[in-house]
Amino acid sequence: MTTLWDTTGSEVVKALSAERRAAGALAFGLALTLVVVVDEKNVAAAEGAATLAASAHPCRLLIVVRRQIDAPHPRLDAEVSIGGRLGPGEAIVMRMSGRLALHAESVVLPLLAPDAPVVTWWHDEPPTRIAYDPLGVFADRRVTDVTTAPDPLAALYQRAADFVPGDTDLSWTRLSPWRTLLAAAFDSVTEPPDAAVITAGRSNPSAQLFAGWLRNRLAVPVTVEEGTGRGDTGRDDIAAVSLRFGADRLSVTRTDSRSATISRSGYPDRVLPLAERGLGDLLAEELRRLDDDVVFAEALGTWSSLPNLGARSPHREHIWRDPMTAAAPAQAPAEAEAEAATGSGG
Amino acid sequence: MSSKVSSNPLRDPRDRRLPRLPDASALVVFGATGDLARKKLIPAVYDLANRGLLPPGFVLTGFARREWSDEEFAQFARESAEKGARTPFREEVWARLAGSVRFVQGSFDDDAAFDRLAGLLDELDKSHGIGGNAAFYLSIPPSAFPVVLKQMQRTGLANATDTPGWRRVVIEKPFGHDLASAHELNALVDDVFTPSGVYRIDHYLGKETVQNLFALRFANTLFEPIWNSQFVDSVQITMAEDVGIGTRAGFYDETGAARDVLQNHLLQLLALTAMEEPVSFGPETIRTEKLKVLRAVSLPTDLDRYAVRGQYEQGWLAGARVAGYLDEESIPADSHTETFAAVRFGIETRRWAGVPFYLRTGKRLPRRVTEISIVFKKAPHLPFDKTDTAELGNNQLVIRVQPDEGVTLKFGSKVPGSAMEVRDVAMDFLFGEAFTEALPEAYERLILDVLLGDATLFPNNAEVEESWRIIDPLEEFWARTTPHRYRAGSWGPAAADEMLAADGRRWRRP
Repeated sequence: MTTLWDTTGSEVVKALSAERRAAGALAFGLALTLVVVVDEKNVAAAEGAATLAASAHPCRLLIVVRRQIDAPHPRLDAEVSIGGRLGPGEAIVMRMSGRLALHAESVVLPLLAPDAPVVTWWHDEPPTRIAYDPLGVFADRRVTDVTTAPDPLAALYQRAADFVPGDTDLSWTRLSPWRTLLAAAFDSVTEPPDAAVITAGRSNPSAQLFAGWLRNRLAVPVTVEEGTGRGDTGRDDIAAVSLRFGADRLSVTRTDSRSATISRSGYPDRVLPLAERGLGDLLAEELRRLDDDVVFAEALGTWSSLPNLGARSPHREHIWRDPMTAAAPAQAPAEAEAEAATGSGG
Repeated sequence: MSSKVSSNPLRDPRDRRLPRLPDASALVVFGATGDLARKKLIPAVYDLANRGLLPPGFVLTGFARREWSDEEFAQFARESAEKGARTPFREEVWARLAGSVRFVQGSFDDDAAFDRLAGLLDELDKSHGIGGNAAFYLSIPPSAFPVVLKQMQRTGLANATDTPGWRRVVIEKPFGHDLASAHELNALVDDVFTPSGVYRIDHYLGKETVQNLFALRFANTLFEPIWNSQFVDSVQITMAEDVGIGTRAGFYDETGAARDVLQNHLLQLLALTAMEEPVSFGPETIRTEKLKVLRAVSLPTDLDRYAVRGQYEQGWLAGARVAGYLDEESIPADSHTETFAAVRFGIETRRWAGVPFYLRTGKRLPRRVTEISIVFKKAPHLPFDKTDTAELGNNQLVIRVQPDEGVTLKFGSKVPGSAMEVRDVAMDFLFGEAFTEALPEAYERLILDVLLGDATLFPNNAEVEESWRIIDPLEEFWARTTPHRYRAGSWGPAAADEMLAADGRRWRRP
């Protein structure tokens, strides 16, 4: 491991080369670069999750911590390691302060693994528009987590408004086990349902995406009812989903943090695994596929009533925005495009 | 994929987050207390459950002679899963699976036991909604096949046409011991079940690297243009084991390396390496192409030189002394059974005319390794001095099937320095490094495929019979010879090296 204090981007690149040489990893098969954007106070959590995901998908891990943007002098500290505490692959933790924090891409770009896909993950509240963050603009896949926002549903709507193919949100990833169970229970169903009800906490974005997905796939009314069900999770997670077929019902209900019961009229109840997954597992699922998720686009589009999300151009232009001068209100798209066309400064 | 899946509005082929789950079904294991069930099948079922890949309404049913209750079998299964599973053992996953474990006691000639089994499946229809779906895994000696299959015919267990749902049967090698016996076995199994309901397990085809051969060859532009006699000098396929015959003495002494490994695993690897591009990635199209290659396989005329078999003598392996084959327990002192076989095959097609395929397998070789090595021709002209390229060998593409699953490319590179000197270097791709999670165990993948009804990775009866057509003349020739001796811990008898030396080649040391 090499630790560099008050250093430059070039020194970090050199340190990485030296570490690679020392580790004998010159022919190491890298599938992708994972850029993690995180606040200082959450670094440990983000590192833990990224390390777990990196052990399933060997990647170059670049953790970017921006802090003290108002510091008088730009400064970069970095820690370079291979096969150390941050998993088996190459990992660099970079702390950037002062104006450098607004130009993090100048340090990150030369560190990306050559011609491998880039995934950027915002551990904390994502930027209002991804285009504000250059670390999101050059990424092939962008992963956000709206549950970190003060108002997750407003943040989810903002994700829809700002969506381009290649974006996903961990509130969708959290839903995969639910969708898996329901789809499996549905395999033996032959008639279309009349309606569906999801029981979940009031501001649970996954439940909203669940509703969007079901509406999109089944073309039936889907309501989200508030309730916590029998789950022992103590949070506002999804407690149950229930479909009505005339007089018959099919429901999946969480029984505890590890399992759920499938009940269907005329059939015995069945208990199946529905494990709660940690952040690392969620991230690992995101890294499994690096193409865009059209089913997510459809579910998000149906929920938000914004048409044709999947048909948007996957490319973003960086929009220069200085948090020091502009108290930046969320801008209308037309306005933003005009701004993007005028280029960036700073 | 079945039409049922596409009719589920919640499923979408673009939705890659949702795993394929089989229909509710029963997996019935005959010989449920045997070694294979304990070490491979039950752990694989547990791993599937742990990964959430088993459907609601999955039932594991054991059939064996022991006087066991459901609970006792469940306990046995639990111990097997704890010991053999690749994923961490989790109590709650097991608890759920244990609720769906059943046991039927009986011997194979016991009519009442099979009636009970048939009754159990009817019962499971109501309690677990299996809808008549059942897969029967025959983890039993082939000699017991006829009686078990007749029982299944008698009780209607194998009948998929009159009952709702599907009925499938899974059989393990050996698929006969020569063409005639294989034909007889195939006729029997295909008659009791339908040919499309029979799944022949060759666990090598469940390995990720073998499936990666398809990706390597048919998803890239780089390799296919040079995948022919114009560029390929020869192909070597090696499956080496460091272990001896273990506890299988009786079976092994009757079988030998050629029937045990060459006839199935190695010829399947050969077929996958040499086949033409299938018109689509489906079971029928792939089998068609594999069969074409197997039909084109030819034997050398000089069998003395190009069909070598060996038998290990005592020696040192991995720092320990090991006994010779003839000294192994319950092996007759005058046994002529081979523990090593190396053969040169040809493939009589335009693509492969004149390219020798060297196949070898053996026990008590220095290490456990399986690999396919494509050796390319030397450059037709080298604009360097002879001394500059003295250390340059043939370019090679090596597909490492196990262990260290991956691909190696060997090519010449300049040695740094003021002189022009070219030497071989290797570029390694390791599956484990570039990709995802722990690779699933071959049995896991294959059991899942059986339940899903995906026959892509299973050889069919025609392939099995064609493989015997290739092996039978070899066995006939070998029956008149004594195997060459080789020391345990060496790479086989000298005759195997001489076989390649006669062609101006040498074996690659894996």
